[in-house]
Amino acid sequence: MTQEMQFKTIVAQYCEVKPDEMNNDMRFREDLGFSSLDFMSFLGELEDTFDIELEEEDALKVLTVGEALELLERLQ
Amino acid sequence: MGILIRDILEDSVKKFADIKAVKWLKKKDILERSYSELMDNVITIRKGLLAEGFKGKHISLIGTSSVEWIESYLAIITGNTVAVPLDAGLPAEDLTDLINRSDSEALFLSPKNISLLDGILAECPKLRKVWILQEEEPDSPNEKTASLAGLKAASANSSTDADRPAPDDVATIIFTSGTTGKSKGVMLTQDNLATNVLSVDYTTEPGSILLSVLPIHHAFCLVMDWLKGFSLGTTICINDSLLHMVKNMGVFKPQVMLMVPMMIETIYKRLASVDPAIPKMAVADNVFGGNLKIIFTGGAHLDPYYIDKFAEYGVEVLEGYGMSECSPVISSNTPETHKAGSIGKPLPNAEIKFENGEILVKGSSVMKGYYQMPEETAETLKDGWLHTGDKGYMDEDGFLFINGRVKNLIILSNGENISPEEIENKLALDALVGEVIVTGEDNGLAARIYPDQDVVAAKGLDEEAIKTALQAFIDKYNKNQPTYRQITGLIIRKNPFIRSSTKKIKRQEALIDEPLPIA
Repeated sequence: MTQEMQFKTIVAQYCEVKPDEMNNDMRFREDLGFSSLDFMSFLGELEDTFDIELEEEDALKVLTVGEALELLERLQ
Repeated sequence: MGILIRDILEDSVKKFADIKAVKWLKKKDILERSYSELMDNVITIRKGLLAEGFKGKHISLIGTSSVEWIESYLAIITGNTVAVPLDAGLPAEDLTDLINRSDSEALFLSPKNISLLDGILAECPKLRKVWILQEEEPDSPNEKTASLAGLKAASANSSTDADRPAPDDVATIIFTSGTTGKSKGVMLTQDNLATNVLSVDYTTEPGSILLSVLPIHHAFCLVMDWLKGFSLGTTICINDSLLHMVKNMGVFKPQVMLMVPMMIETIYKRLASVDPAIPKMAVADNVFGGNLKIIFTGGAHLDPYYIDKFAEYGVEVLEGYGMSECSPVISSNTPETHKAGSIGKPLPNAEIKFENGEILVKGSSVMKGYYQMPEETAETLKDGWLHTGDKGYMDEDGFLFINGRVKNLIILSNGENISPEEIENKLALDALVGEVIVTGEDNGLAARIYPDQDVVAAKGLDEEAIKTALQAFIDKYNKNQPTYRQITGLIIRKNPFIRSSTKKIKRQEALIDEPLPIA
């Protein structure tokens, strides 16, 4: 599985949208229906899965799937 | 007669001196403080407050959960001082407003929030001292700013300890959303808090592990995680971030936790996403750390569906009901007495009656009133009966149920009570916003906006341009707000809102978007 698919599989845990139906412009809260806590929990899973450390303040500025992917790539 | 939090704490220290009271993470290391060590610090800070001349004064605290925060809080409320815990996530101007409105003369500030310091000192003239919640001296110390170590040092020159407060003295002021758009300071006395702690029917072995994941400035967390936990000799572990809640369950392996419904919903998504072939108990060990037996929940309604689902993983979810004005628990299910869908039986110190369906509460945990808001106090407290704003009923077995709201507040499943007017006032500042109503939808907040037609015409905006401009304005508003006050839905109306004969927008008809009849 590519990193992007692995990422989207984690996203899909919290919403009704399937990984292959996700696009990078989708907003976590508005389009995917994440609650604020879903988003926090999702960020925690990213840290564990990809062995990265997120700055909470920066991570919470992320709005879209694409922005989260960019952040992930930047930290690796 | 009456009880003090100081009585409860001193009793616990006698019984549980060597048991760990608090554990927390520093990077990957677990640090800990025993009950006797905790009490030593509480007394030292309490003496320091007295030595610095703060007897009888109000003292604010800004920060997330930390051992320094709770020791300072306990020092304030076990002496003759009043603690005002504030939400560190609020915008700076809201925090300075609350410091001023609570007449706070000192502040404990978390080092994480140090960027607020200059603004607070400039905007809060009554503030005489700010202590940073750290042992090291601050970078630029001045006569108004010192570290916690500095305050402790002040007590070294004095052997005098603060007198015991009276049971009817105000111990804490907790701010809660007001229906008029201005938050209200709930005054809770020593006896209010102490009787709430003692009336909740739950016991556990001393040294049992509790993981605290709720915001510490909330009454539910402060009284039930911390004060109740300390009364039982519990070891309270601090969750360093909501990002790490599940990971920290694995680190600390709690037996009991307090959560708001949103946390239960989020964790369930993780449980449900695991391959169904894996045994549920193995999943539970992985997600909950292996020892979790009970989750107490409150602050918002929980769908009973989750109670059954969590039971499959060996975790009992017990729902309760309360509000800051009642210190906060009014009723709770317990391991022995529970009914799914209900909010449990009223505590022994709470008398309940109903007026036009609204739940009214009387008893020793009902607040003294709202700080310097006599009109709001008189509206809420009538003849000692607190009007909760919730509608409900009691069944033949004495279990309480909720079935609606009387007041305007939006209750999100994270337990936050949102005053829509407070947010509408801020959104109305944009010239393009003609009329706005905020509603609670899909576990978040939606702004329903009727654009100002003069601005639309003057700028020649089409539908797409209006949407882009309003979304940009909302994104900007969201950036300065804690997540629970952010707008996650934008609905642009084609027609103005329906108004009553007194020209007020009819909130209950805000979802209807039809042309108004021509008058």
